[in-house]
Amino acid sequence: MLVMRSLTDTQARFFETVAETVTPEVASLDAARRARLLAIVDDALLDRQPSVRRQLGTFLSVIRLAPLVRYGRSFDRLDGARRTAVLRWFESCPVALLRKGFWGLKALVFMGYYGQPEHWAEIGYAPDFDGRPGVRRA
Amino acid sequence: MHEHSYDIVIIGSGAGGGAVAKELAPLAAAGRRIAVLEWGAKLADDAYTGREVEMARQLYFDSGGVLTKDRTLTMAYGRAYGGSTVVYTGTSLTIPEEVVRRWDVPGIEAEDLARRSAKYLAENNVHLLDEEELNDNNRLFRDGCAALGYRVQQFPINVKGCRSSSLCNLGCPNSAKQGTHRVQLPAAEAAGVEVITNCRVTRVGEGSCEAVVADPGFGLPTTWEAGEHRVRAKVVVVCGGAVNSSALLLRSGFGSALPNLGRYLTLHPALILVGEHPHPISNFHGHPKSFYCDHFWESERFLLETCMYFPFTTSKNLIGFGAEHSELMRAFPRLQMILVLAIDPALPANRVVLDRDGEPVVDYTMGPEVLDSLHRSMVASARIFFAAGAARVHAPAGATFFIDRRDADRVEELIPRSRVVPGKISVASAHLMGGCRMGRSAADSVTDGWGRVHGARGLYVADSALFPRASEINPYVTVMALADRAAEHIRTNAGELLAS
Ligand SMILES: Cc1cc2nc3c(=O)[nH]c(=O)nc-3n(C[C@H](O)[C@H](O)[C@H](O)COP(=O)(O)OP(=O)(O)OC[C@H]3O[C@@H](n4cnc5c(N)ncnc54)[C@H](O)[C@@H]3O)c2cc1C
Ligand code: SF4
Repeated sequence: MLVMRSLTDTQARFFETVAETVTPEVASLDAARRARLLAIVDDALLDRQPSVRRQLGTFLSVIRLAPLVRYGRSFDRLDGARRTAVLRWFESCPVALLRKGFWGLKALVFMGYYGQPEHWAEIGYAPDFDGRPGVRRA
Repeated sequence: MHEHSYDIVIIGSGAGGGAVAKELAPLAAAGRRIAVLEWGAKLADDAYTGREVEMARQLYFDSGGVLTKDRTLTMAYGRAYGGSTVVYTGTSLTIPEEVVRRWDVPGIEAEDLARRSAKYLAENNVHLLDEEELNDNNRLFRDGCAALGYRVQQFPINVKGCRSSSLCNLGCPNSAKQGTHRVQLPAAEAAGVEVITNCRVTRVGEGSCEAVVADPGFGLPTTWEAGEHRVRAKVVVVCGGAVNSSALLLRSGFGSALPNLGRYLTLHPALILVGEHPHPISNFHGHPKSFYCDHFWESERFLLETCMYFPFTTSKNLIGFGAEHSELMRAFPRLQMILVLAIDPALPANRVVLDRDGEPVVDYTMGPEVLDSLHRSMVASARIFFAAGAARVHAPAGATFFIDRRDADRVEELIPRSRVVPGKISVASAHLMGGCRMGRSAADSVTDGWGRVHGARGLYVADSALFPRASEINPYVTVMALADRAAEHIRTNAGELLAS
């Protein structure tokens, strides 16, 4: 069975690799939460135009291969510090298309991670339909 | 193809469509057939779960993240029984006189809009929250502004029985927020107006429209069968919101006679800043939006508002990623948030167009004046956070991820204009306006001051698409006031318009 319906298995696995740099907590997720992260991203991609999925696939390849120029290795074969450096470059890249592509990719990772209510406790977010007792003074 | 016949069809059930439906309800009560065709679903009261991804998917177009053509801005607008009023925050302001003057539309007077707005303020139970209902996130903003001498005001809001869940933008789980789904649509239905949900109108003409009904997989069942429908109507009122009303008319071929169709879109481009306090504050309990600062409204063309967002929305609005991003997210209970809104000029080049499949694309560029406003607003917000006691501040265009309190007097230098770069900072819009602007003739606009489409009989626009320029305040009350005008015109001329 495919990992995601919107990306190939290779793309999905590479997405996870990038996700671990974007949100370090992803690296220690158990299999169920990892699958949930991909499922949330998958649903979001399937709701959008097919062109968005194609662009994401292409952008993932660009991230994977771009470090060959500077480090002689693909992204997945770099250590953590270099992966971060590569993504920082994309984030501030003078080429608007790459900068915006990275922003979109990052947003998908955040959606997959912070969109899971199971992760709210880690950040101290505890919404309540009746929040009145929580409106207290500083 | 299923066939239907009505006297009046209203397309969309948001602030505009809901107001029109209620105002035309007396005609329904008198035997006229009126239908509201709404693309979105109607959720059962217990389906509002407050879970961000799930609610965003059910209540917004593209989960609230519709991208502009150049992908530098995301737009949030609702798709539901009640439109964006299901997810809005409910701050309820009347458009200032100066803005109406700047609009310069024949027949549109500030006094007229104020009178109509007052009607909706009363209908929607608009009032100020009591001091003890305000959480720290809001009070700190007020106190920070006051300490700096910035003009700050309390937002009137439209709630009844608010339980401070702070979940307004995910749909109120307590049925407290008085959107059109709670007030105008039920009243209209009680008088005999039919509301058909899950029904997307694909084309309109003078005297008819075409629609497709499809089950989205959530929400209450609709009354029409799935499939294609043709609806004959003597009057068609388009209320799909700025993007979709423009797109619907463009797709229906009105663009050639109306060269301004889709143009002059304004968005109030917005971004979020975060101040981290040394101790927990109350932020995600309490109504999220109680104060605004319009101190820089005329001088620097921006507004500041309190806000409180959910984990995913917050995370994507912070700049950066990795360990420092996670660190800030883990400070969630200590975060104070400010939403800044730039007041953008209305430009013909900022517009809704159609892609090859006939789907809307928003071609919008943030010009230098907007980027200047965003920059100045970040500096002002950082000052407010520090004045309110924040230990450090995260500004999207900050030279460093955090600006520490000891550098509070260097915010000007630490938030350089050069870092306000589209595509790097997260800019969003929830105030979409224009595209079918009101004016004098087809040479300068799409409709007249009553929302009548120039040169088309029985075809009206009655929503945020009518705005000729930005409202410069939160827009929903003005949308309702303009829709009220369109409804009045239809009512007054019903004899002629609805004659068979
Ligand atoms: C998160 C958020 C917070 C906001 N907070 C505030 C606030 O506090 N105060 C304020 O003043 N304003 C606020 N706004 C803005 C306000 O909600 C809008 O300005 C207002 O609702 C616009 O009204 P409208 O009728 O033009 O469109 P909408 O209310 O968006 O309604 C349009 C409706 O038309 C339907 N539709 C579109 N196309 C079609 C079609 N082809 N066929 C059938 N149906 C269609 C849509 O599904 C939608 O339900 C907020 C908006 C958002 C998104
Ligand atoms: S804060 Fe009040 S109005 Fe907003 S969602 Fe909660 S109960 Fe509803």
